[in-house]
Amino acid sequence: MMALVLSLLLALATGIGPEDFDRPEALAIVHLFALGWLAQVMLGALVQFVPVLAARPLAFSRLALPALLTSSFGTLALAGGFLSLDGYDIARPFFLLGPVALGLSFAMLAVMILSTLITRQTLRLPEVRMVIVALAGLAGLWLSGAAMVSTLTGSRLAVDISQALPLHMLFGIGGFLTFAACGVSYKLFAMFLLAPEAASWQRRAVFALAALMAGLMMTGLVMLAGAGSVAPLLIGVCGISLAGCALYLDDVRRLWRARRRPTPELNMSCSRVALAFLALSVLLLPFAIWQGGALARASVFAALVGWLSTLTLAQMIRITAFLTWIQIFAPLIGRRKVPVVQSLTHPRRAGPALTIWSLSAGIGTLSLATGFHAGFRLALCGLLIAATQILCELVAIRCLSHLAPPERPARLPPLILPSLMNPPHSAENQI
Amino acid sequence: MTDLAAGLEQTLRRVVDPETGRDLIAMGMIYEARIAGTCAHVTMTTTTRGCPLTEMLRLGVEAALLAMAGIETAEVRLTWDPAWTPERMEPLSL
Ligand code: HEM
Repeated sequence: MMALVLSLLLALATGIGPEDFDRPEALAIVHLFALGWLAQVMLGALVQFVPVLAARPLAFSRLALPALLTSSFGTLALAGGFLSLDGYDIARPFFLLGPVALGLSFAMLAVMILSTLITRQTLRLPEVRMVIVALAGLAGLWLSGAAMVSTLTGSRLAVDISQALPLHMLFGIGGFLTFAACGVSYKLFAMFLLAPEAASWQRRAVFALAALMAGLMMTGLVMLAGAGSVAPLLIGVCGISLAGCALYLDDVRRLWRARRRPTPELNMSCSRVALAFLALSVLLLPFAIWQGGALARASVFAALVGWLSTLTLAQMIRITAFLTWIQIFAPLIGRRKVPVVQSLTHPRRAGPALTIWSLSAGIGTLSLATGFHAGFRLALCGLLIAATQILCELVAIRCLSHLAPPERPARLPPLILPSLMNPPHSAENQI
Repeated sequence: MTDLAAGLEQTLRRVVDPETGRDLIAMGMIYEARIAGTCAHVTMTTTTRGCPLTEMLRLGVEAALLAMAGIETAEVRLTWDPAWTPERMEPLSL
């Protein structure tokens, strides 16, 4: 969340507009946003969620904190390193250190996730396979990124950046973040909507297409080393993305229709907006690949800000409330009356913030597509306001501010969720 | 229904699923509940296998049963066979 607010602040402070996306500052900000905010939250969510998918405790859970710290350092080093492209030579060593630290952190997380997830029973589930494909996407993202860093620092291992960049963006946004989000969202949506979870043919098809797409992109990586053109592969990736996205959306619509929760909560109605952005960014993809430029930037923005961030923010509020509830009230179940999870949140506060976020994401996408400088700056302001409000709401949830005073415990839980630090402690003596 | 059996139902209806605000019987999460002498036996499930709340719910049911008059021991077993589906929920009374 800090990385999110920081990257938006920096984007406003450095005066970045639609035409400046190749500037080193813009590259630094894009990576602060993509790695410091989205990748960090997504990997954290996988670490939390993989035990639910596999129905067993997280393996090597001690690696969680070192992985978090190394990835934060790696992100800052990479972002700082981009500035060396602008002549700040002092940042050059960081440019190489960033990918090393990030690689180390990704490896630790992959060990935790894969050793929890891979069992004979779980491997049959399409959403589990989807998470595994997402980790392959993460590997591809790192390889393509590290190869470009190596090229930019003038080392002997060099690739053609114009070929590597589209693959890198597809690996990051599609192969890693979107595949992971899809894998997790099936279960999450079914849980929040109280919908039957049975794996449909659409889900199996989405997984098969995701695996095919990852395979094509990996082939692209190999071709980079041989200096071949990746253009034909990109056309294939584009077709698969369109088909996969349509099937995924159809599957979610099926869950939505079969739901037992009559009025879906805020997190689910906002997720629908996020899904609309997913559709938009995939629809823009053919234009992005054929024309590049403004439409490519719009597609990337719609995906990172509109699709992935809206989904993450909406679910984050709900999941923070759930984990806070467990920490405080779970030990009291059956012993006294406990409030419901929803009473820890305040939809009237989170709702407008998420609406401002989504509207700003829309304005930003449109401004990038049309090269409208003022519109893009306005969108950045909106995003910053919304992110700050959501941050305040998360703090309020952790402080149990929305709960009626008699229901509040005498001692509040620590502001930072303890799941990475130590197991939830008994709260029995706190109330 | 004997007093004890009615008490058992009442007790389980006081344990609430925090996600939906509905009690465990209305959620269809109680598969079996009976009393033998001074021991209460309950077989229950959770909506999602591997949900972080699982053990807490089991312990909560156990604590609620032990608070019943005439009950000295409680045995609460978790099962996911058959798995919970939303069809198990009691319809909402309007
Ligand atoms: C989820 C994670 C990531 C996402 C979504 C992402 C996305 C992007 C995007 C959109 C660009 C183009 C930016 C622009 O043209 O303004 C880019 C460029 C770049 N990325 Fe990443 N990236 C991610 C992770 C990484 C990692 C882990 C590395 C290094 C190990 C890396 C290294 C680079 C480099 C060197 C460039 C610049 C290429 C050039 O000179 O144009 N990225 N990335």
